[in-house]
Amino acid sequence: MTVDISRPVSDYLPKGSGGTGGRLWKSLLLLLLAITIAAGATFITLWLAQQIVPGAPPYIGFLGGLAALIVSLQVIARRFEWIMPWYYLLPSILFLLTFALFPVVLTIILAFTDYAGIRNGELNISSRTDIVGVQGNTVTVADSATLRCEALRDGCADVAAVIDVSGTSTVTATSLEGTALTLAEPLLEGASPSVVTLELTDIGFSAEFNITAAQGNTLTLERAPPGEVDLENVGLEVPSEGIRRTMLAVDGNTVTLDDPLPEGATYAAITRYNDFGFVGVQNFTAILRQAGRALGPVFLWNLLFAVSTVLINTVFGVFLAIFLNNKDLKFRNFYRTLLIIPWALPSIITIQVWKGFLNSNFGAINRSLALLDLPVLDWLGEVWPARGAILLVNLWLGLPFMMTATLGALSAIPEDLYEAARIDGANVWQRVTGVTLPLLRTALVPITLTGFAFNFNNFGLIFLLTGGGPGYEGGTSTARGTDILISWAYNEAFQAVGGYAYGLGSAISLLIFFITIAVSLVNFRVTGALKEESNI
Amino acid sequence: MKAHLGRFIRLCACLGLLPLVSVAFAQIDRSRFLVIPYGWLRLLVGFIVVTGGIALAAYLYGRATRPNKAGTYALTAASHMFIWVFILLTLFPVINLLAVSFNRANNLNTPPPREGNLLVRAGVLPNPENFSLVQYRTVLSDTNLFWYQWVLVGLLVVAGLVLIGAIFTNRTNPGSRSVERVRNAAIWALIGSAVVLVLSINNSQFYSVNEAGERNPSSSEKKVVLFIRNTLLVSGLTGLFAVAISTTAGYAFARMKFDGRYSTLLGFIFVQMFPGFMALVAIFYLMNYLGLLNTFTGLILAYSGGAIAFASWIFKGYLESISPSLEEAALVDGATRWGAFWRIILPISIPMLLFIFLLQFIGTYSEFILANILLTGDDKWTVGIGLRSFTSGRFATQWGTLAASAVLGSLPILIIFYSFQNALTGQYTAGGVKG
Repeated sequence: MTVDISRPVSDYLPKGSGGTGGRLWKSLLLLLLAITIAAGATFITLWLAQQIVPGAPPYIGFLGGLAALIVSLQVIARRFEWIMPWYYLLPSILFLLTFALFPVVLTIILAFTDYAGIRNGELNISSRTDIVGVQGNTVTVADSATLRCEALRDGCADVAAVIDVSGTSTVTATSLEGTALTLAEPLLEGASPSVVTLELTDIGFSAEFNITAAQGNTLTLERAPPGEVDLENVGLEVPSEGIRRTMLAVDGNTVTLDDPLPEGATYAAITRYNDFGFVGVQNFTAILRQAGRALGPVFLWNLLFAVSTVLINTVFGVFLAIFLNNKDLKFRNFYRTLLIIPWALPSIITIQVWKGFLNSNFGAINRSLALLDLPVLDWLGEVWPARGAILLVNLWLGLPFMMTATLGALSAIPEDLYEAARIDGANVWQRVTGVTLPLLRTALVPITLTGFAFNFNNFGLIFLLTGGGPGYEGGTSTARGTDILISWAYNEAFQAVGGYAYGLGSAISLLIFFITIAVSLVNFRVTGALKEESNI
Repeated sequence: MKAHLGRFIRLCACLGLLPLVSVAFAQIDRSRFLVIPYGWLRLLVGFIVVTGGIALAAYLYGRATRPNKAGTYALTAASHMFIWVFILLTLFPVINLLAVSFNRANNLNTPPPREGNLLVRAGVLPNPENFSLVQYRTVLSDTNLFWYQWVLVGLLVVAGLVLIGAIFTNRTNPGSRSVERVRNAAIWALIGSAVVLVLSINNSQFYSVNEAGERNPSSSEKKVVLFIRNTLLVSGLTGLFAVAISTTAGYAFARMKFDGRYSTLLGFIFVQMFPGFMALVAIFYLMNYLGLLNTFTGLILAYSGGAIAFASWIFKGYLESISPSLEEAALVDGATRWGAFWRIILPISIPMLLFIFLLQFIGTYSEFILANILLTGDDKWTVGIGLRSFTSGRFATQWGTLAASAVLGSLPILIIFYSFQNALTGQYTAGGVKG
């Protein structure tokens, strides 16, 4: 092939590599089509898998979905070659949609629900109540208080429940041939017996036999019983898989169901589900209602922490870097290597070690302070010392980074500027304030803004060092002295003192989202990080 | 001159206020501590005298040898002193931690001895007479490795030593082919044995055997090796996963022009701003729904969202910094897009991919919140959660165990960090230049 170098390179590039040629919506639709097919395949695979192996884990479905996705993408690519760029992006986009964007959307949805530890949509084992009698669609229970209808939003109305078919029942069989046991009456709906107890008349005692299959009124046993059995007296053991119904009303000890229960069986117990549903802006009003005790103080401390920790780290980092930037300083690389040790150690470990150092009675910090006759503080037991401890530990953790970043920025300042300042008669101090600091500012602004965004949500530090504590008078049990917004959300959602209020936790997370977006927009505006991209 | 005097007086006033402040804060019973009266003042004066003396000596030396540099000499000498103060403050926790981990006393409240070094008497450093390996022995006692795992551990240590030796030989005698070959073999042996070790260690190997010969499963403070293994596994897989998924995306962003590129890029950036833990409830809900609670798969997937966006973004930046001429040449020679990506781009960007992997690895190693929510059983815990179980509750009696576990848990990251120090810290240096 001869190449004419006067023509642009793109003329020689293979088809389907140059771009989608303005067919954005077509591309997206095709991708969506492939994903829809894959999603369909996922559900079908999952359904099939659970038919074959009951209790198959839900992620099995994804394997089928993946296969369908690959096949459909192959077919699409053969017909529409220009879609190729999207294929390169598809794996990332799929994962981002599922594990990054979807959780965000889910957070927004959950923020408007009352999802909580006792409202999680799952079976509430502790609500299991014995059934005394059944009449059509009304069930008499031993004690309706066990159902704890008052914990639900609208009582027990429209709440799902499971009715357990009696654990063991005695039935009559008609025949036994080998391993096939035929019962007088067909099995009840929802009952899948696991074990039969047969009275062995020849030997004179009863034995249990596992059931391998149950079809209509025929049970297949694992092994054939030896000799004659008493067909009149067959014990049938049913595992607690029961019949699902929806409760309509609870009146005294009488529970009304939407559909009558099948007759002729003995019912052991009824267990209700936990409900959870949309509650409008209730979570947000709850947050606002305790704004004076939780949201306000937490937000203020969060802001104060993020701002001051960045400022402190920057000041110390710049100070140290200016010292280390001295070309005449011997061993400066050795010093730098020693000083970045805190960066090289995993913070998740060092923070917890600091907790020991900060122990008020036996910790090394207080012992050193006392040795020097300096004030001794109850670092983790009082609000302001605890806040100071957080800033101190974060300084130790963050100083190496700030120092390195500042050294990088310093090395970019041209030497002739200092030379010019020197010729103009500036002394060392004037050179630092007149040349170094103003030039550093432009380089350090993006770093400090990123640091602010990071520290604003620095959950690990707060949670591992102080656990959000100590509490203070007038505060709440979930928003204590050093809690920041994210740790407050964590406490509401995952600590027993917050009552596992997942919905409330999501609502707080949503607030954090908005704040993070605002901070990031400011960051982009200041640094212009996106400007060069948008021009393409 | 007058302005200087004013500044000096103000400084003195501030210093004078310090003792007053100290009295105001001194509300804790100080009889339990060893106190040197006005210790801070003595230290301060001592420091100023020593630093001043050294600076003066440097100044005089400079004036005798190079008069115009005398001021710089004095300043540099003082800088050394200042930096050493910072180094001591920075290293103090690390030294203390090491000392505690090699000490017999497990309790934080062990009373300091009556005699000996001042720092030891004050309880600032543990008593060196109690030096012992008992903490490490306790932490490792229930780890029952199979014979082949011992072989792998041996191989790991030997390969590490060989590697260090090879690097030093290379420095004194660069360009030797055989040394290079040995070094490469050592690297592969190191990686291989580490990977097999991480994959093969499991929960059933952590037990103690009592007198009757029965196996008792270990309590969680003796499972540190398992926690480290779990953390390495999760971090390694998250890093690999992020690199594997994001390279094609980074390539498409850097080299292809298509409609929707800018908006997709924007979407990636925005997603990257929301690390998974901000949507912690939703992640918990999602993983609960998918049946992936308390599994490594669930945790890795939860990390993948942020990891992929971050890795694509970095890889895109890297590709834009290298010239496209190499692939264009291949394309003109008839290679397909995919061929050019697979045969040319991927091989030349291996160092970058390694860098992305390491960043992700180190970041994941220190992640706490998602691991804490998603991993409930102590056979799945990562190092951070394991340590947390020592610090909450029975803390006072576990200080030595915690220290030994912390040292062991920090080692992998410390080694990786210093092995790749320039690559890992250099990006911020470069970032500073660019900004």
